[in-house]
Amino acid sequence: MNTKLLPASPAASRSGRPELSPTKRQARGWFDRQYRQRMLRTDLLTVIAWASVAASVALWLADGGAAATTTVAEAFTAAGIVTGLIGMDLVLLMLLLAARIPFVDRTIGHDRALEFHGKLGKPSLYLLLAHGVLLIIGYGLAEGLDPVSEAVNLWIQVPDMWLAFVSMALFIAVVVTSLVAVRRRFPYEFWYVVHLLTYAAVATSIPHQFSVGGLFAAGTWQRWYWLAIWTYTGTALVYFRILEPVLATARHQLTVARVEAVAPGVVNIVMRGRKLDELAGTGGRFFIWRFLAPGMWWHPHPFSLSAEPVFNGPAGEGTLRVTVRNLGNGSAQLLKLRKGTKVALEGPYGLLSTAARTKNKVVMIGAGIGITPLRALLETTPFAPGEATVLLRGHTDRELYLSREILDLCQARGVRLFHLTGRRSPTNSRSRSNSRSRTNSTWLPEDAVRNGYSLTSYVPDIADADVYVCGPAAWAENVIADAVQAGVREEQIHHERFDW
Amino acid sequence: MKIRGAVAAALASAGILLAGWQAGTQVHGISTVTSSTTATGTKGSTGTGSPGTGSTGTGTTGSVGSSGTGSSGTSNSSASGTYTGTAVQTRFGAVQVQITVSNGKITEVTPLQLTDTDGRSIQISNRAAPLLRTKVLAAQSANVQTVSGATVTSRAYLTSLQAAIDAANL
Amino acid sequence: MQQISDPQARGTGSPVLKARTVECMGTVISLTLAADAVVQGQPTSDELTAATAVVERLFRGLDETFSLYLTDSEASMLARGELALRDASAQMRERYAEAHEWRLRTDGAFTPERPDGVLDLSGLIKGHAIREAGTSLLALGRRDWCLNAGGDVLVSGSPRPGSAEPWYAGIVDPADRRTLVTGYPLGGNTRHSALATSGSAERGEHIWRVGGGPGFVQVSVAAADIVTADILATAIVSGGAPTLDLAADTWDVAILAVHQDGTLLATPGFRQA
Repeated sequence: MNTKLLPASPAASRSGRPELSPTKRQARGWFDRQYRQRMLRTDLLTVIAWASVAASVALWLADGGAAATTTVAEAFTAAGIVTGLIGMDLVLLMLLLAARIPFVDRTIGHDRALEFHGKLGKPSLYLLLAHGVLLIIGYGLAEGLDPVSEAVNLWIQVPDMWLAFVSMALFIAVVVTSLVAVRRRFPYEFWYVVHLLTYAAVATSIPHQFSVGGLFAAGTWQRWYWLAIWTYTGTALVYFRILEPVLATARHQLTVARVEAVAPGVVNIVMRGRKLDELAGTGGRFFIWRFLAPGMWWHPHPFSLSAEPVFNGPAGEGTLRVTVRNLGNGSAQLLKLRKGTKVALEGPYGLLSTAARTKNKVVMIGAGIGITPLRALLETTPFAPGEATVLLRGHTDRELYLSREILDLCQARGVRLFHLTGRRSPTNSRSRSNSRSRTNSTWLPEDAVRNGYSLTSYVPDIADADVYVCGPAAWAENVIADAVQAGVREEQIHHERFDW
Repeated sequence: MKIRGAVAAALASAGILLAGWQAGTQVHGISTVTSSTTATGTKGSTGTGSPGTGSTGTGTTGSVGSSGTGSSGTSNSSASGTYTGTAVQTRFGAVQVQITVSNGKITEVTPLQLTDTDGRSIQISNRAAPLLRTKVLAAQSANVQTVSGATVTSRAYLTSLQAAIDAANL
Repeated sequence: MQQISDPQARGTGSPVLKARTVECMGTVISLTLAADAVVQGQPTSDELTAATAVVERLFRGLDETFSLYLTDSEASMLARGELALRDASAQMRERYAEAHEWRLRTDGAFTPERPDGVLDLSGLIKGHAIREAGTSLLALGRRDWCLNAGGDVLVSGSPRPGSAEPWYAGIVDPADRRTLVTGYPLGGNTRHSALATSGSAERGEHIWRVGGGPGFVQVSVAAADIVTADILATAIVSGGAPTLDLAADTWDVAILAVHQDGTLLATPGFRQA
């Protein structure tokens, strides 16, 4: 039996950190209110997104577009204009979702923002393709030209149109490579560089929107609206993706203090910096790090803090820590980082934090390197002794990284802790089990499954808790499926993808 | 909560679309005159047949031709006077016309605003536009005192109109 | 070459005009004087002779300096590289500077250089010569005249001295040079005194084309002064529609352009009133 059970120790729960005690918050339904506010913000974002799509169509309607459509050629042209407007609006939404705007991150989290970003990729491409094709046909019909001649004509004769054609080619290239990259698992770096082409595609598409389309001719309110949303998107991108990271890097002046081995292939990278008090409470959330050493500076690493920032100096001097496993060519170099290497950071991002809490009780389920952000969260997120449970999964005890620290934290705060080690159970266990079985428990060790343990065996009251799940994608999927079976609602599940 | 978001989004979108539609029909209500006049004014340019491929740069002018919103609606009002239409969006930019109506018939169409291909709008444009030969200031050699033409060589002069005029005044 | 003949009396309504022609710069220059019927009667042959002589002297002088057809002209020496521009005469340098300014103002559509790099001020010199001739005529006290040099026209006053009646210039149809496309009033009470027409047909490579696109076979520009009219007409034939738009926006001019297919493009000034 590889399971350890550490009952909550009320005596040890007086941790000397009164702010961690949620009793006051509990009384006022603090987490519930936080959840309601977050849902309100989510709804607001949903409304904004849909309204922007509606607005882009309304721009055209308000111009009398629908009423002026009477012939076949005009119908094609109208359809082309509307698809172009919606397509571009979706592209702007994609850019905003990828802009790491704090409001979006605090509301739906970086992961879900990127998930929506990805989902919009294909629709917007199809709309933009349709935009081009429909307009070429529409214009061609109006002028009595076949589509090919009309396309050539547009390219040659109409200013800025050649840029629009270039833009279309780039959009196709970006979407196709993204799909292929996801399927074939190209290195992240390759995908990243190709993705930068998006900016070229968007930039080359801008001139013709304002110069060719009559809808956005000078002096129209439509032009101002379109300019406004473009300006907002551009500003958000520049500010949150370039300016803010540069400022944060300058503000914190991080350098590598030491690299210490945790397990074979796993290291703690401890960084020293200033004004770390500003990062208090970010334990568990992730930053994008760049280690400014030759051959490494361009490589962005998304790592979560594996401990709360520690600061004690007058100017917030202290240390940050990430725990890294050697996953690929990029992270191999990290094991050999030199002391004093300067570090650039972007973040914090993600909802693996107290901000996501909806309930008073907490369950944390981690596997492999995914254990480490939970370690940081366990340090800070408020709960009463006995109201938290931690499940750690690994093949062997050695894979339960930072387990010593976690054990100490659990003892100090009164947390039930389970170590789930051993071989994974066969994937077809579900089909073998009888029809009344409600478990997906392939995420549990074989032993545990054989002995009839499931998620609720470890956490009977899980339906009334926030569940943080951190680990490989397929494993996490199984955990989440089990949790849902156990009556955990979607908003209680907080999952961070660790795809790279 | 999800339902609330979806309902709110649907309501907001519907409201925006409705507002857009409403604004659009109003624009259209005014522009029936405009578009019909555009069609009238267009005759000139179509007639002159500015190259079917649409002339470069002079896109303004080409646009007047291609704008043809095709609306055949004509003002039923039998009133007389001068009306300024709203700017009509064309493939290349905005065109605004002023029309003079007498007894319900359009007697004159004046382009007020042409937006060139660069999107700059020029008020009361001095821009060139296609013109039917019958619409230019008529002139016959009998009533001009001099003739302007592309550089004439001494030899070409002998057969030129200018030579005839000069001869008459010698 | 000068020809003189007795003035022909026209109908009572027609202005009384007297013309003289001179051949110079490879073309024919016509000077027409209007007689002040009330005050002066018809212009005397002496007055016309004197005025024509002034114009002729001026044209010949400029031609001797600027002609690329005369091998010993200053322009030819410059073209052959025997003379550096900084060593050239003051008037050569002035014209060169003026031409360069026009190059800038027309976004390069007008250029004082041939594609082979040879300095060629002929696009400017005729207009300049007409301008100088006009100044001389005014200095002589002549107020009502019409000067036509190879189809470029500068007028002063009215064909009916003392009245506000403008001169009326016809614009030749490039497809049929015996007919007119339209007419345009100059001088008198109008804004424009000069009308220049450039074409791509006459004199072969008179105008270098800058861009491609549907070309204009003939462009006429009316302006307050002949150099502006002449340069812009040349520039528009060379630069096409973009230059036409630039000219219409920038200068107080009226423009009539004739496409290859015979269709017309005109600014409002050329529209029927």
